[in-house]
Parts: sequence; structure tokens; C-alpha cells
Amino acid sequence: MKVRMKNILVWLSLLVLCGTATGEPFVQGGAIGSQTDDGYNALGPVVEQPIEFPHNTHAGQMGINCMYCHTYARRSAVSGIPRLDKCMGCHKLIESVKDKPRIKKLFEYWEKKEPIPWKKVHDLPDFVRFNHERHIQRFYFREDRPVREVCGYCHGDVASMTTARRVKALSMGWCVSCHQKDHLENAATTKTSNGPNDCWQCHK
Amino acid sequence: MSLSNLIKNWSSLRVKRPYEDQYKDKDYKWAMVIDLDACTGCNACTTACYAENNLPVVGREAFSKGQAMHWLRIERYWGEGEHMDKFPDHGAQFLPMMCQQCESAPCEVVCPVGATHHTPDGLNSQVYNRCIGSRYCSANCPYKVRYFNWWQYPERAWPNPLEQQLNPDVTVRSKGVMEKCTFCVQRLTEAKNRARTEGRRVADGEVTTACAQACPTSAITFGNLADDKSQVARIWERQQIKLASDKQEKDENLRGYRIFEELRTYPSVVYLERVRDSEA
Repeated sequence: MKVRMKNILVWLSLLVLCGTATGEPFVQGGAIGSQTDDGYNALGPVVEQPIEFPHNTHAGQMGINCMYCHTYARRSAVSGIPRLDKCMGCHKLIESVKDKPRIKKLFEYWEKKEPIPWKKVHDLPDFVRFNHERHIQRFYFREDRPVREVCGYCHGDVASMTTARRVKALSMGWCVSCHQKDHLENAATTKTSNGPNDCWQCHK
Repeated sequence: MSLSNLIKNWSSLRVKRPYEDQYKDKDYKWAMVIDLDACTGCNACTTACYAENNLPVVGREAFSKGQAMHWLRIERYWGEGEHMDKFPDHGAQFLPMMCQQCESAPCEVVCPVGATHHTPDGLNSQVYNRCIGSRYCSANCPYKVRYFNWWQYPERAWPNPLEQQLNPDVTVRSKGVMEKCTFCVQRLTEAKNRARTEGRRVADGEVTTACAQACPTSAITFGNLADDKSQVARIWERQQIKLASDKQEKDENLRGYRIFEELRTYPSVVYLERVRDSEA
């Protein structure tokens, strides 16, 4: 019962966020529970992780850049899941939370010298190639938009979730809807450009 | 291809024949040169292609029915009559044949679902999950370089643990779809992405196809024709071959030619004729 209440609370808070907060980037892809034009559910299934990682504490309250942990996003096709020593690099020194159950679990993995078996949340079909680097370089580095917004186009506002959940459809029609938009080249000009429209750019 | 894009770029999408300087202001036009004088018919390119592009080995029975999936095959030509009497030890001549990435591709216009179309960098693309397997494209291809998945090959071709050898950047095709040489588009895309991040064009020699990489005699040259200084562009120019021409006006002693040029497919692959000592 308690778990259900908690789920409902998370749901509600997400709903409120999507409806009211920063506007466009988080609304795009349809409201939670809705379907996109091509019939995909905007909201993905709940993925239970080995440790209920609180994104809201790290990226939300602490304001850590997404790319501090998902470090490959800016220079590779995949964003990457941080290695255990990335977690330990900080948590070894943070005494105040050391006896929390989640951190205890973290230390268990560390002492066992085992990686945490994180589960994939944003899973694209095998015939699609998505490149994190190009999107991050274009919108974060070139256009200098806030990181929470740039990652949020596809991942939703992860900084308000605990473990991540897919909130965008990640379907082809949804990708194309953004590629068709006229995006400003950079903050200084009025020149715009679109994302690539060629099949082979994404299909392999 | 969305409707708004179709309307916006209607005229460029309707261009079916290349015109002079079509790629002059473009960043990329991938092309190839194969020197048949250097080709020894060793099949290293074919093997490399199998490894790079997840091609299934179909087995003897399917092969005998012509169902082999070699995107790049080595064709053998034997001399005949007087020539063979004079030079009995000449043996076969070899010709690596793969998709010629025609500028005016016969396969593209007949696809009922638009699974094959032209990319901006001059490749003839094949989108597997759009293909319904009508096989019109293969029927209309004069080079016969399109291959159809008659069976569900993956389980037979790569029994556990062989699936570990598959290239993750290339789809493993299933039964009922057409496939063909892509000029290793996964490598091209990666190189293009890297170059774009660094704000430049892909340099000559930065990216190459698996076949060109594996060729022990460097018979295959791959590169960007839109870049005047690339090796490929220089060979095309030296051989006086123009992309947008169906009949080349060139000096007689030049070795370069394109296959079935008279069919007006405007292929992107130039072959350099073999020089035999009978002719020298």
C-alpha cells in the first residue's frame, strides 16, 4: 500500500512538472500517459534498478551536471553509465550519508568488486543509431543551452525523478518532429538549421 | 521522409539524373576506384565485407541456388579462343563487383515503398525495416548486386557464441528484406559525426571501406569526390571520367571506365582496365 501511494505521488509530481514547469522541452513528446501521432506511448515502463538511484538529489538538489557522471555523452555515440569508482570518488568522502541503506548497498558492491547491474531505461531498437555527441555538441556547447534542458528534450526532467523513467516516445515520428524544427545556429545569429533528414543518418 | 520536407525540397528530390558540378558545393560525394591491374582476385575484400557488414554464410546448398549474400563478389573472366592459345597461362581476370552506388539508380525508382533512395552524399541507401521484399529493385539492377534474404539466416550463420562476432553498428537483417553494399555507411557516418563536431570536413584517407582497408595490393581506393584534392577525385580527373556523363570523352590510352555506363546509371565506381602483356 505504501509503495503504491509513493508511486502515485511520483506520478503526480511528474504530471505537475510536465504541465507547468519550464514549458516546451518537457511537454514535447506528449503528456505522460498520452500517445504520439505514430501511436507510441510517451511514458515507458517502470524499470526497477539494483539501487534506487536518486537523480533528484544529485542533479536536482546538488545541481551536478548530467555529464559529470554520464561523461561520454559529449564525445561518443553513447552517454555511458558511470563506473563504480565514479560513485565512490565522492561517496567515500561524504560521511553524512554513509549509513543510508542505498549507500550501504553501494559500498557492498564496491567491497565485492562487482559492477552495479544497472538496467537500461532508454532503449532504442537495434536498427537505429543515435548519437549523443552530436546533440550535446550542437545544443549544449554551441548554443549554450542549460544541460537540464538539452538532455531533457529526450530524457525528460530526470533531475526531478529518482530512478530514470522514459517519458518521451523515442519513436521515429517524434524524432523527426524535432529534426524538422528550425533551430537557431547559435545565440548570436538568426540563421537556423534543421536536423538531418536522411534515412541512413539514423537507420543502420 | 516527411511531407513537409517533400514539399520543401521537391525539385531536388525529383532530380534523377546527375548534372555537371552537382556536388561542387556539397561536402561529400563518396566514390571509388578499383585498379584491376592490381587486383589478384584473392577475395580478401569479400572476406572483410562479410566480417564488417554481418553477412551470413549461407552454406553450399543455398549458394548453388544463387542465394549467396556476398555484397562484394569477385567475378572471374576467362580469356577465349586465340587469346588463350597465344597466352595459355593467363588464366582468369578478376573484377570485384559491388553496388555501384548509381547516381541515377534503376533500383530506386521501382521500389514501391521507398525503402531505397538517394542520400545527400550520393549513396544509394537501403532501409531494411521499410523493405517489404518485393524484389523489384533486384530485378531492375543491371549489376545484380542486390541480395535477398530468402531465409532467416542469423541463427544458422552465427550459432552461439558466434553472434559475439557481429558488428554492433550494422543491423542483422532478417528474412524477407533486400540488402546490398552500403560503402560501409556506418564508418562514414561515424567519421562525418566526428568531423562535424570538430567543425571540418572528413579528410581524405580518414575513413575507408572494409574492402579497401583489407586489399593487400591497394587496388581499391575510396574517398570523397566532392573534395578536389582527394585521391579518388584526382584519379577520376586523371582518367578524364565525369560523373554526370554517360559517354566519356577521354584519351584512348586511359584505362578508366565505368561499367554499363551506356545504361545511364551514372555509377560511382571507376574501374581501371587491366594491362596484359599481349597488349603492352
